[in-house]
Amino acid sequence: MEDAIKDGSPLVHSDKGTNKCYTYKLQPQGDGSYEEAKAKADVVVKRRFVNQRLIPAFMEPRAVVASPMGTSGELTIWSATQVPHILRVLLALVTGVSENKLRVVAPDVGGGFGGKLQCYREEILCVVLANKLGRPIKWNETRSEDMVATHHGRDQIQDIEIAATKDGKLLGLKVELIANMGAYLQIITPGIPLLGMFMYPGIYKMDAYDFTCIGVFTNTTPTDAYRGAGRPEATYAIERIIDELAHEIGMEPMELRKKNWIKHEEFPYTTIAGLTYDTGNYEAATEKALALFKYDELRKEQVKRRASGDKVQLGIGISTFTEMCGLAPSRTLGALKYVAGGWEHCTIRVLPTGKVELVTGTSPHGQGHETAWSQIASDTLGIPVDDIEVIHGDTRTSPYGMDTYGSRSLAVGGQAILRAGEKVVEKARLIAAHQLECSASDLEFDNGVFRVKGDPSKEKAIQAVAFEAFSAHDLPDGLEPTLQAEATVDPQDFSYPHGTHLCAMEVDTETGKSVMRSYVCVDDIGIQINPLIVEGQVHGGLAQGIAQALYEGAVYDSEGQLLTASFADYLVPSAPDLPSFITDHTVTPSSTNPLGTKGVGEAGAIASTPAVINAIVDALRPLGVNDVTMPAHPMTVWRAIQAAREGAK
Amino acid sequence: MIPSTFDYVRPNSVDEAISALKAGGEDSKVITGGQSMLPLLRLRLAAPSVLVDCGRIDEMKGIKDNGDSVTIGAATTHWDVLHSDIVNKHVKLLAQATETVADPQIRHRGTFGGALAHGDPAGDLPAVVLALDATLEIAGSKGRRQVAAKDFFLDYFTTAVGPDEILVSITIPKLGKGWGTCYEKFNRSANGWAVVGVAAAVKVDGGKITEARIALTNCAAVPVRASSVESALKGVAAKVSEIEAASQSAAEGTRATSDLAADKEYREHLMRVITARAVSCAAGV
Repeated sequence: MEDAIKDGSPLVHSDKGTNKCYTYKLQPQGDGSYEEAKAKADVVVKRRFVNQRLIPAFMEPRAVVASPMGTSGELTIWSATQVPHILRVLLALVTGVSENKLRVVAPDVGGGFGGKLQCYREEILCVVLANKLGRPIKWNETRSEDMVATHHGRDQIQDIEIAATKDGKLLGLKVELIANMGAYLQIITPGIPLLGMFMYPGIYKMDAYDFTCIGVFTNTTPTDAYRGAGRPEATYAIERIIDELAHEIGMEPMELRKKNWIKHEEFPYTTIAGLTYDTGNYEAATEKALALFKYDELRKEQVKRRASGDKVQLGIGISTFTEMCGLAPSRTLGALKYVAGGWEHCTIRVLPTGKVELVTGTSPHGQGHETAWSQIASDTLGIPVDDIEVIHGDTRTSPYGMDTYGSRSLAVGGQAILRAGEKVVEKARLIAAHQLECSASDLEFDNGVFRVKGDPSKEKAIQAVAFEAFSAHDLPDGLEPTLQAEATVDPQDFSYPHGTHLCAMEVDTETGKSVMRSYVCVDDIGIQINPLIVEGQVHGGLAQGIAQALYEGAVYDSEGQLLTASFADYLVPSAPDLPSFITDHTVTPSSTNPLGTKGVGEAGAIASTPAVINAIVDALRPLGVNDVTMPAHPMTVWRAIQAAREGAK
Repeated sequence: MIPSTFDYVRPNSVDEAISALKAGGEDSKVITGGQSMLPLLRLRLAAPSVLVDCGRIDEMKGIKDNGDSVTIGAATTHWDVLHSDIVNKHVKLLAQATETVADPQIRHRGTFGGALAHGDPAGDLPAVVLALDATLEIAGSKGRRQVAAKDFFLDYFTTAVGPDEILVSITIPKLGKGWGTCYEKFNRSANGWAVVGVAAAVKVDGGKITEARIALTNCAAVPVRASSVESALKGVAAKVSEIEAASQSAAEGTRATSDLAADKEYREHLMRVITARAVSCAAGV
């Protein structure tokens, strides 16, 4: 990547005259510049971290069918995509086929992790060919094709510098990124490192922040969103350098964090990067995590092992992370020059028999939205979850939506469900009041039943109201028949889930192999709708983040040939490679939405990577090792140990 | 990917299988459990015209105690090997290594003989038969022949089994009293291939190692005996420090390759460390 921006490097796009795609500078934030903060600092720590290139590796490779439907002129596209709505807009713009003749269906899709947040050339080709030939066109890919052609994630070189006083007060942060775009820009390629831009200060207070990013074209697969999209990279860099700073000034790494993090009573808090964090309680999550982890006991064992010169050393890694969820207020996206908005849509229809159709614009591909969305609607309408059908992933039946990515579905889509449900209840209340011959304000609504205050014998269930709305024999004057409502919600702001993750690694100093001994995380994602789904998201996220730390990495040779194009070479861990995670939570409701929810889809993947590497470095610190590049391949770790030993001689 | 077209024959005897192989010509291949052959077919690295399925030939299955040796049919699954009382009692090293092969699902399909005849340098079982001086019986149109393990593995994915021949059974001599064994496998993930594997059998008498047999996995095109370590261990006290010193020559005679899992220098380092661990474990220290 660095070679690509040297003078005389062969050009990816000869007409551009350079491989530099862009240079983005965040205007210096805070009262003074980073240089001023640095001048006041007792300690400055500078490191270069490499967030290696990753391959999304979702379970189901991509597949597309585009088919003309009879003589209507309609073209239906079934695609393993996570963004049917966005895809339809882009397919219409690119192919010139009228948008109202395109129907995009995302059936049950087997995972995405951002890799299916794209308008791929194969999707475009299928539409163009089907349209031209008037026949169905099918395309699907093999695993190896997927690994070469589906967009990749991460691939950033991070030069990060932190300035602090000798007693551990943070003064300023400077970040210089070089981000690999690959050969061509995709849907949000250049924006990914800039999403991270806001998150480098993490949970910490400081006076100055400088950020620069250079985007670089290379002869590799394009990069784009991958679980966390910019935020894992930022979290990795800040959580790693906090540990390095702690070591530099001889302070316990958790103490350094406590000294600088935003205290719970200080929320809402506007960070040096300009975001306003809604709510949080880092103290509570940390306290719980330390107890579950048996932090003090493990530290004692570590001291013993160091003293005895054990071949297998124990390391403890900390990651106190936050992230931004609920992408996003549409105006904010506009200011960032994103083309799409960030709203979400829901329609709720209560059918004559009391059953419910809930149409959502989110597009689940393994997240269990059917279950969670039914719960929200059930709580709002007082109708059993089994009577609620969630309809999604088809632009014909669900015409409006912004789809599923960036931990936004609940944080934004959930609010639309709540609002649509409330509207349904408001309308049902008018009908019930009319038929019970009272004023709407005299009715209480509890568990699906309207009752007259003070005369509970007079009642009407919402299902009965739905039938009345259907028959329309006796509705209030001017009220339209049918019991249904739509809501389109644009979020007022992001929400900021957080958590404290602790990891114990045993590192074999002879072979360099690291084995995870225990992992504890306490996440705070606000109000939880379905704790089991939350648990699943956390587990999967942890596995993926740990995979970046220990196993995964896309490797190219100097000719641009991908060497890791199958699961034999691109190591995705499986259950036997990971310990039983201990997961728990604290609950600090979000203040930016009425459900009080935050997002959880990416938490584990964002938080775990630095926890693992911090633990490995912590294990090897007495040997003089102060960084390990990712993935922490045994050979890499062994070399780091050898180099430190050589350096010490 | 879907394999290219092939014909499929399922003979009921070794003779039938050999005829089928011969009739199929050069492009015919043997399949038993499919542990290795199916991925090759699906990746189209192999495109045989005829597949001869030896998975249901009774003669090629089962485990027999011969008194001073054990004979295992080539088509016996890893699972059956692992759960055989005879193997666990008399050829413990084979059970120890088989336990590290792939995962339970694959161990139910894959076979002992298949893993040997495939000749994968990263396979775990070739080192075991080499360390234990096994004899392999090969059947062909000209009859049957016995080949010593040291002469069986010729090169990458190449063994003494000819194009119209079949590996029928493997006979492993019992070690007898005073011997301990261990298979130490170093890999990056639980289901991964061995980066380096070491099969060790060690005889300890009166606190001293009197004899050692050590074979290395994935350290050359074929499994190799760590002969200089074997000699260095003779007469040495069964102590970790002594064993580590003797294991320093483990990389002698190997031809380590460089790949994503390990470059030559690191792989040679691993040979020394993993050999010492395997020998220590086999010696019970």
